Amino acid sequence: MKKELIRLDHVSKSYDGQMILDDLSLVIHENEFVTLLGPSGCGKTTTLRIIGGFEKPDTGKVIFDGEDITDLAPNKRQLNTVFQKYALFTHMDVGENIAFGLKIKNKPQSYIDDKIRYALKLVNLEGFEHRMPESLSGGQQQRIAIARAIVNEPKVLLLDEPLGALDLKMRQDMQYELIRLKNELGITFIYVTHDQEEALTMSDHIIVMNQGYIQQEGSPEDIYNEPENAFVADFIGDSNLMKATFVRDGLVRILDTDFPCVDKGFGDMKPVDVVIRPEDVELVSRGQGQMPGVVSHVIFKGVHYELEVQAGGFEWLVHTTKFFEVGTEVDIRVDPFNIQVMNRPASEDEEAISPEDEPPVLQE
Amino acid sequence: MRKTLEKIYMALILIFMYLPIAVMIVLSFNSSKSRTVWGGFTFKWYVSLFQDSTILNALANTLLIALISTLAATFIGTLTCVAMSGMKRPGRAFFTGVSNIPMINADIVTGISLMLLFRALHFDQGFATVLLAHITFNIPYVLLNVWPKMKSLSPSTYEAALDLGASPFLAFRKAVLPELGPSIVAGSLMAFTMSIDDFIITYFTKGAGFDTLSTMIYAQVKRGVHPEIYALSTLLFAAVVTVLLLSGKVRRRSGVPKKSSDYQKQRVKTKILAAAAAAAAGAIVVLGLLYGGVFSDAGNKVYVYNAGDYIDPSVITQFEEETGIEVVYDEFDSNELMYAKLAQDDSAYDVICPSDYMISRLIQEDLIQPLDFDAMPDATQYIGQQYYKSAQAFDPGNQYAVPYCWGTVGILYNTKMVDEPVTSWDILWDPKYSGQILMQDSIRDCLMVALKKDGFSANSTDEAQVAQAAQDLISQRPLVQAYVIDQARDKMIGNEAAMAVIYSGEAIYCARENPDLAYVVPDEGSNVWIDAWCVTKDAKNKENAQVWINFMCRPDIALKNFEYITYSTPNVAAQEEIEDEQIRNSPIAFPDQSVLDRCETFVYLGEKADRMYSDYWKKIKSGS
Amino acid sequence: MEKSRKAIVLQSSPYLVWSILFIIVPLFMVLYYGLTDEEGNFTLANIAAIAQPEQARAFGLALLLSLAATAICFFLAYPLAMILARRRTGERGLVTTLFLLPMWMNFLLRTFAWMTILEDGGVLNGILSSLGLPAVHIINTSGAIIIGMVYNFLPFMILPLYNSLASIDGNVINAARDLGATAVQTFFSVVLPLTVPGILSGITMVFIPALTTFAISTLLGGSKILLIGNIIEQEFTLTYDWNLGSGLSLVLMVFVIINIVVSGLTEKREEVHR
Repeated sequence: MKKELIRLDHVSKSYDGQMILDDLSLVIHENEFVTLLGPSGCGKTTTLRIIGGFEKPDTGKVIFDGEDITDLAPNKRQLNTVFQKYALFTHMDVGENIAFGLKIKNKPQSYIDDKIRYALKLVNLEGFEHRMPESLSGGQQQRIAIARAIVNEPKVLLLDEPLGALDLKMRQDMQYELIRLKNELGITFIYVTHDQEEALTMSDHIIVMNQGYIQQEGSPEDIYNEPENAFVADFIGDSNLMKATFVRDGLVRILDTDFPCVDKGFGDMKPVDVVIRPEDVELVSRGQGQMPGVVSHVIFKGVHYELEVQAGGFEWLVHTTKFFEVGTEVDIRVDPFNIQVMNRPASEDEEAISPEDEPPVLQE
Repeated sequence: MRKTLEKIYMALILIFMYLPIAVMIVLSFNSSKSRTVWGGFTFKWYVSLFQDSTILNALANTLLIALISTLAATFIGTLTCVAMSGMKRPGRAFFTGVSNIPMINADIVTGISLMLLFRALHFDQGFATVLLAHITFNIPYVLLNVWPKMKSLSPSTYEAALDLGASPFLAFRKAVLPELGPSIVAGSLMAFTMSIDDFIITYFTKGAGFDTLSTMIYAQVKRGVHPEIYALSTLLFAAVVTVLLLSGKVRRRSGVPKKSSDYQKQRVKTKILAAAAAAAAGAIVVLGLLYGGVFSDAGNKVYVYNAGDYIDPSVITQFEEETGIEVVYDEFDSNELMYAKLAQDDSAYDVICPSDYMISRLIQEDLIQPLDFDAMPDATQYIGQQYYKSAQAFDPGNQYAVPYCWGTVGILYNTKMVDEPVTSWDILWDPKYSGQILMQDSIRDCLMVALKKDGFSANSTDEAQVAQAAQDLISQRPLVQAYVIDQARDKMIGNEAAMAVIYSGEAIYCARENPDLAYVVPDEGSNVWIDAWCVTKDAKNKENAQVWINFMCRPDIALKNFEYITYSTPNVAAQEEIEDEQIRNSPIAFPDQSVLDRCETFVYLGEKADRMYSDYWKKIKSGS
Repeated sequence: MEKSRKAIVLQSSPYLVWSILFIIVPLFMVLYYGLTDEEGNFTLANIAAIAQPEQARAFGLALLLSLAATAICFFLAYPLAMILARRRTGERGLVTTLFLLPMWMNFLLRTFAWMTILEDGGVLNGILSSLGLPAVHIINTSGAIIIGMVYNFLPFMILPLYNSLASIDGNVINAARDLGATAVQTFFSVVLPLTVPGILSGITMVFIPALTTFAISTLLGGSKILLIGNIIEQEFTLTYDWNLGSGLSLVLMVFVIINIVVSGLTEKREEVHR
């Protein structure tokens, strides 16, 4: 078991009577790449700012390395932050930006110069010392922001949607870059993003948040394969999310068709949500599967085809490597262990887990 | 704790910002005309405001100029931004650079430079020149707001519109203008504000008889502001606050529109606001046309140039009503200022009211013309012969001037603050009264005091004597509270000073308002002066000017003026009709012959002596 | 935007003509008058006149008072602008309006109101005496003129400072704190340098009008204290020596030019750094 580094204890925070974080508790271990993932307004950035010291929680405690740092000013904390939109000092050149923290700590000039060179090398921007931030591209500015933070040798690096402002290609490059950095530095990264792909690619540990609550936490595989509720299922990856009835242990009724499953203990004839990943839906010849359907749409995606199949009054999303023509009559088959059954929350909480701007597609 | 400190700090600065405004508002309800005395609550200034054509005229000018200059500047400015977007670097640099000049340059330099231009081009200074000046300094504010937005606009929207078959004009109107909208509005609002608030540039570019609120207030401020101005300012301020509150409410209520119906509502609201703005603009224009006299007929007018606060305003209205002649009335602070203006453009005014010594100068320099007394029967009939005789000193043969007011110069002192009897000018040099002495801000009056004190003639041209007098005045400087013109009145009434050199007419007014005040003509002697009506050499309306002078000589009119300004009238018929016996027999208003015997009339000293006086005056004023 | 040359010429010509006629030509007229005597002969006497005791005194005093007023404005406005910029966006508009609203009452009247406040028997001394404090004599002193300048030009300092402070990304300040700087260190090493453009434009907008004012000194100085603005005004309205007035105006323009050069240099410096 890894050593515990940061702990949030029953932290709550509200602005203008609006609850942003509600009794949140979480633990972050040493040398982990932890991602706080969720839609905008879910409280992930506030959580990060509380750890960084830019916000004080209304109630609850922040424990760092066994010490209560709830009331400690940000400049006294052993962690550094890489901000959204970089927040570089535009009146200083790159070298001065990187040296800022070290100068504050009165490090000798030779030490500072070495550190600048080392940090620029680390982020692949050697020789940029005398450039002004505004003359750099977004990706370059982001690297400088990272360099500026890591020269201070923090125990934890906080990253607040650092790649949000970059274009797709740059974003992918930077993802690998960050993983490499984390491995070279051997420190803890706490990463905030709303991009589930980013989270799945980089993280050791993902914390999915919504409406100020933690919805689920675990490894990327856990989160992807076994979402605990409809929100997580919908937020992580493409999926077929449906209302269903749990007939009894090992059998669930989806769209009036009974499917065998491996889940147990939801009770007999109880309403549940089920999620089936598109790559887990098999298309077989008519009569060979569990439910009849018709291919209504086909798009070639390179590695696979993305299909829409009308079956049981639902539009199934299917990924397959085989080509089907539109109008082909097929049957759908799903292996029992590929059906993820989840508790359907009572109507009150339903509100709490479905973000207004992107409601999960729940169809009968 | 910190929040509280911040709030206290903000509150202190807000108090600092709003204290003068509160004072103004309070004064607008003060029934006493003096701003240092509270005379009870009244609305009368708000009533008389709407009967005061001078103020309404200035208001109309202000609004009209602000409106037209804003529209013109917005149009030219936006057009220039459009052109700049198609230019290369040097072109853009030229326009941003040149528009920076009026913004960075000191207003006084901008004002002077435009004045020199208008003079050189022989433009008649007035509405048009002020408007040109305002457009000039307003365009940069439009550029300042619109250009950054224009620069940030992607050309693709415009090109897309062209691509879809729109004409360039349509493409601009549909694709570019809506994007620029808010910044154009911001720019024109800024321009409007700057135009309304401007004083310095207007001051240098305006001509005779033309005033905006700013220049009118500046002229009044030197002599005491009419309370109607407080009322007007309070109303304007209240109007601005109301508009701001209303627009704030509209904005807050509409917030971020969520449904399309809200957009609809907001559009309707915007339209209502636009309509209201258009209506207001229309009202301004109509008001302006009514009061601004922009298109009024140029024919039947008389241009009057009188000393400040030297007439009962109702007399002007009465004159206009009875004769049908429109009066363009302007005021000067001192004879020297009046002379400067006349020397520069003698035809700017028809009838003027200078003092004795200035009249002799004007005659010598051929700036006024002989009068036709047959056309002015009242001038011969009612003005006392003794005054015409005195006037011979500066107007030999009585050809040029008809006496209007006369009086002495003396010391007005507060008996509560000065115990000893005042008989000599020397008391003005008594260090006991340091900071309690008010002197006249006028060359001849000021030097007269020192010359008389030293036993010289008030008309001395002996440089040694003048130098000695000037030296005395410089040594007196530290004791002097201020050099003032008509403010002495308010300050003495308000017990702000112990003594003031003042004209006898002012003394009557002051003693009436504050019974502690007494007036004396010192034993060393003083100046007896006569102010008289004259007609300028190049007067455009000589006949009307004489109608005016004759009107001023009518006993009922002379009486009205006397009661309003309290300066002694040479009108014998009017003197007899003064109701208040105390005033009719007042030694201040109508002193004994013995007093008059020790007083001298000023005469013009010639150019050389005049320059000498000026040079010493500059030294006195700057204290070196 | 791709536009025909003809359109550009057509659209730009109104302001081109206007600015040449009403901005550039008038300035050359000031230059001409300033460098000639009454007969139109070239002379530097009008500019050299600034060294004569009367003018030098007025000029020195104007410099002193306007520098003092600018400094006071700066130290009053900076904390205020910081407080305003920290407020939430919703409140900002309202509060800022509150500080700009007084500008809608005529500036001469507001200054005139200060006379009523500062007089020996005025509002201020009334308040002081009701508090049992001794009266102060301010009216017709340099102090009164400085108060008038600060009062009239303070909004011109608040606005640019507020704008430049509000445009700083809050995270830039957080970043400095995050990197170990105390609040004070953050202010001097990050906030202050980032607001230099705002500070410069604030100083310009206060210093130039304060240096050249004549209305404020006339009203609050009791015509006893002459500033360079009063001298120039008198040359044009009283003594009618346009040449001398223009010459002295040219001296004032030197300050404007210095100002342009300074702000130009700071811009350059940043560009070179890039």
